[in-house]
Amino acid sequence: MGSKYPKSLRISLPLWALILEIVFILVFFFFTSYEQPSEKSELLKTYPAFQDINVMLVLGLAFFKASLWRYTWSSVAFNLFSLAVGVQWAIILDGFLFNFSTRKFAINIHSIIKGTMSTMVVLISSGATLGKINLVQLIVMTLLEVTAFQGTKKLMQEFLKMYEYESLMQIHIFGAYFGVAAAWRLSESELNMAKEKERRAVASNLFTALGTLFLWIFWPTFNSVLLNSPGEKEIAIYNTYYALAVSAVTAMSFSAATHSNGKISMTHVHRATLAGGVAIGVSTIIIKSPWIAMVLGFSAGTIAVIGDKYLPRFFNQVIRLHDTCGVHATFGLPALLGRLIYILLIAGHNGWTNLSETGNKILISAGYLGLPMAMGLGGGVLTGLILSFNIWKSPHEAKYFDDQAFWEVRPSMNLL
Amino acid sequence: MPLSFETNMRLKFPFMAISLQLSMIILFGFFVGYENDGNYVQQINATNQSEKSLELYPLFQDVHVMIFTGFGFLMTFLKKYGFSSVGINLMIAALGLQWGTFMQGILHHHKKFGIDIKSMINADFSTATVLISFGAVLGKTSPVQMLIMVILEISVFAANEYLVVEILEATDIGASMVIHAFGAYFGLAVAGVLYRPGLRRRRHDNEQSVYYSDLFAMIGTLFLWMFWPSFNSAIADAGDHQYRAIVNTYFSLAACVLFAFAFSSLVEHRGKLDMVHIQNATLAGGVAVGTCADMEIQPFGAMLIGSIAGIVSVLGFKFLTPVFATKLRIHDTCGVHNLHGLPGVIGGIASIVAVALGATNKTTMANQAAALGTSLGTAIVGGLLTGLILKIPIWGEPPDQNCYDDSVYWEVPEVEGYSHYFHEHDDHSQLQPEA
Repeated sequence: MGSKYPKSLRISLPLWALILEIVFILVFFFFTSYEQPSEKSELLKTYPAFQDINVMLVLGLAFFKASLWRYTWSSVAFNLFSLAVGVQWAIILDGFLFNFSTRKFAINIHSIIKGTMSTMVVLISSGATLGKINLVQLIVMTLLEVTAFQGTKKLMQEFLKMYEYESLMQIHIFGAYFGVAAAWRLSESELNMAKEKERRAVASNLFTALGTLFLWIFWPTFNSVLLNSPGEKEIAIYNTYYALAVSAVTAMSFSAATHSNGKISMTHVHRATLAGGVAIGVSTIIIKSPWIAMVLGFSAGTIAVIGDKYLPRFFNQVIRLHDTCGVHATFGLPALLGRLIYILLIAGHNGWTNLSETGNKILISAGYLGLPMAMGLGGGVLTGLILSFNIWKSPHEAKYFDDQAFWEVRPSMNLL
Repeated sequence: MPLSFETNMRLKFPFMAISLQLSMIILFGFFVGYENDGNYVQQINATNQSEKSLELYPLFQDVHVMIFTGFGFLMTFLKKYGFSSVGINLMIAALGLQWGTFMQGILHHHKKFGIDIKSMINADFSTATVLISFGAVLGKTSPVQMLIMVILEISVFAANEYLVVEILEATDIGASMVIHAFGAYFGLAVAGVLYRPGLRRRRHDNEQSVYYSDLFAMIGTLFLWMFWPSFNSAIADAGDHQYRAIVNTYFSLAACVLFAFAFSSLVEHRGKLDMVHIQNATLAGGVAVGTCADMEIQPFGAMLIGSIAGIVSVLGFKFLTPVFATKLRIHDTCGVHNLHGLPGVIGGIASIVAVALGATNKTTMANQAAALGTSLGTAIVGGLLTGLILKIPIWGEPPDQNCYDDSVYWEVPEVEGYSHYFHEHDDHSQLQPEA
């Protein structure tokens, strides 16, 4: 790589995007149809929940990643872009893998919700690779990751006999580890040059807070939307609500406690307040009283702050991994914790009398935990390898975390 | 450095917050459960009940957005205080909703109780009182003081709400009196006790807004404005009452916006608009119509209430706030008196008039007047007591010169001054290819 000048994407980006979109349109033309609306009220009942999910992904996750002071445009816009690509691909794969009985598969509000939620894995992972890849690479990553996640889902439902709800709650673990692994391949060489641009400004921090708040507010919908029985839905909402509230308070307390002058870090507020919602994802319907959810939120908030405070140093120096948005602390660690607590709860639920059965269940739960994590890591390493090929015209490291590489930026944006 | 200005919170704040949080978990463990345990797919009744409860869920989400995004961003107008506005707002609400659930449940049930979506809405409501009061003392207090205020204010609020709803049997569907007026006068009383002569001499350097901080505040305003009909109708009886609450609030807000713009232009120099008025006074209509939102006041009645509220709110910002700060020694940072206090009182009076005109038969004029009186009374007494407790100089409040500054309690990005408040793309030299 001779020049630091960002390579033009003039030919490759439109080419890739247009070909892809035409393929999508053709597939939709040949293989999909609208479902005959059975009951109007059914649609209206689910539609508000779909809107909540959409706000979370389009607005929440986009602004959640807008914390780099020179990279806010790309964070918000690329998020929308990869969501748009991912949803179409996820719905196609979903149709072929899970509902392909007749010649065509039907599109309804549930398939859109599932498609949107499956695409969330990409939006999470792109937090780890944020600022280090260009749009073409993002398209490739979106396609590969959605495919990998749908495959994992299929595996989990076929072989581990997981419910659809449970398999979709693996989003956080899968997305976080996929992203971390992909970022590992991308950040092998030194990243010191980019330190300056990695700074966060006050306004970009406030934008991130906006994103976090929307994720935080709508998380109960996210955890409850796929459940069918109203009773379970209710419990999922309550559990998530209390877990989130507790993790917000805990995150701030531990943030002050781990700072030498007792100051709170806004970054911790962004990341660790969400930990409760992530952690409770898998076990939300088996928790039967609020205080258990609150304890879970407490431990998730703690682990996220500590993970965010001390792990990046280790990541950066020992395994040379750079996780831009801290998705590992936000989504990875709390999801792992949630899984472990799930195993404990299952064990407690079955009691210790019937040891063999309990052991069996624990083993299965461990499989639930291991599979998405392994698939995420494996898929991530592979994707990272593919993304590091030269053909994608990836940005030079000096241009990491900089909007200027992709956007037309007018000289005086300074309105102050 | 005197003890009171010891602002290092490394021990104080985490210790206090975590012990409060642990006590919440213990209280919930003993007193709060779920009404169902999810295992009753066969029981038709319970399923119907769940479905009914879930119908409220979209309304709850709207209220949730208002509390966390709306109130949080509304207070980001100060140039150096955005982190605290949004962050401490989140902390207050997250702790407050737990304490609010507990207090309201225990007052109404006196024993172990179950929660439903409605109690979550009520819990969010109870945090609104603290957030309003937070606006009055914004920039002059420490997070530790806010933790104390959450606990004290919500306790007083729950008692007052119990008094108004269960004993006086007054109606206050959109909570103009029990939340808005209560929160505002509570906050004013606290601000009065915590008054700092040092801040009065001249306008504090940090107590100003910049272009972008005002724009951030508009995010909050717009979210509050959009979802206010949900706020006023969330706990109304399903059917006619809920429908009326939505419609009335909608029109009241619309009318209020016009009057706020008109009067802002009228009172300002050369007819220019003042962003403070636009951020706050446009919402006054929603506050004022709250109490009679579900009564048969007709859309024109709602618009009338909204118009009056808009006018009073702008005039309050222009003429009353300076008087409060100089004569009464009450410094109200966000002007909550004009956004919540006065419109809340207008709401109470409007409900008395509406009852007199026969808009409802659920309550009487005397009951409504008594509800207004007790709300104001408990707020002021509670606020004075809370203020006295917060005045004890061990809670780490900021010294005068560091008021309205995030960097006392937050890790703030190291940029010089606030010229990098927003990112700049002025550095084009890097784009040139290397020679």
